[in-house]
Amino acid sequence: MNKELEHQFVKELENNQNIVHKVCSLYTSNRDAHNDLFQEITIQLWKAYPKFRGDSKFSTWMYRVALNTAITLYRKSKKRIRTQDYDAVIFKIKADEYDDTQEQQLKLMYNAIRQLGDIEKALVFLYLEDKNYTEIAETLGITEVNARVKMNRVKNKLRTILNP
Amino acid sequence: MMDELELLKKDWQKQGEHLPKLSYDDIYKMIWKKSSSLVKWIFYVCIAEFLFWIIISVLPISSNEITDRGANFVKITDWILQLVFFLVIIYFGYQFYQNYRKISVTDSAGDLMKKIIRTRKTVMQYVWFNVGLFALTMIVVLLEVLVFDPPKELMERISTADSTLLAWLIVGIFFAVSIAFFGLLFWLFYRLIYGIFLKRLNENYRELKRLEV
Repeated sequence: MNKELEHQFVKELENNQNIVHKVCSLYTSNRDAHNDLFQEITIQLWKAYPKFRGDSKFSTWMYRVALNTAITLYRKSKKRIRTQDYDAVIFKIKADEYDDTQEQQLKLMYNAIRQLGDIEKALVFLYLEDKNYTEIAETLGITEVNARVKMNRVKNKLRTILNP
Repeated sequence: MMDELELLKKDWQKQGEHLPKLSYDDIYKMIWKKSSSLVKWIFYVCIAEFLFWIIISVLPISSNEITDRGANFVKITDWILQLVFFLVIIYFGYQFYQNYRKISVTDSAGDLMKKIIRTRKTVMQYVWFNVGLFALTMIVVLLEVLVFDPPKELMERISTADSTLLAWLIVGIFFAVSIAFFGLLFWLFYRLIYGIFLKRLNENYRELKRLEV
């Protein structure tokens, strides 16, 4: 691994770190765990980087690695103190952008999403990132039809969580 | 409701300024940290399992000197078992390495999970083969001892017992129970490893593949 590759990689990740932060916020519930997962994703990205050929965008390539790490590779550390669960930065919505009812609804939505399973979160995440069903299906390794069906189910599930 | 998800989408795209921001140096430091990924743990566990059974096979199972009459039979059976064992080790070692090598974090989520499960399965087959071989070896040793070199004390007891058949039955039950006990112990041990490492992965894989034909 030469210096140039290191520099190139760190620069790319620095510019695209938002993607990783968003994944971390969905899959963890406190700041320590967030940082822990961020680090693991970074390591996995770095290990896979020499094979990244640039035939897709760096960010597109990142989605896969980040989600794979969050869903499959990341092992939650048991030692963490869970007292300081924080209202993840991501869920703080600027009050001036919405009226009260809207803000309230959005907060509820975020909380509902965090109650979903690992796979369902990945679906919602990719949907929110404005990925089309072809991309969602490819990232998860399922058929497009299946991705659509699952997404509909997740929407229904969210509806049930929000209106019990 | 779905308007809400659309609304969320807009907010989602705009949230950049609320996210943490790591510096170049922060990230640079991170790339040299050690990974603690599931694949790494599974790799270590698998290697430990390989070594465990190799060590078990090297340990002498019966330290008793066996009489001349049985010696040939024992030697040949042991030799065959050893040969089979090492051929199988080579086969499983190769399979394990091939499967492990194919695990790639840039695969789709489904493929990644499938490959991890496959790698793990190879090692499970290896373990079950060993448990089987272990049981077989125990039976062979048992037969060797009982048929060719029966302990005098035991034989005396059996011959002075009221019912010879009953005495043999008790010996048989004793061995069956001890084999079952070891079997259970292994089973619990592997359930534990499976539980710790693969519960979440298996659940997610099932969830992902639920609708696939």
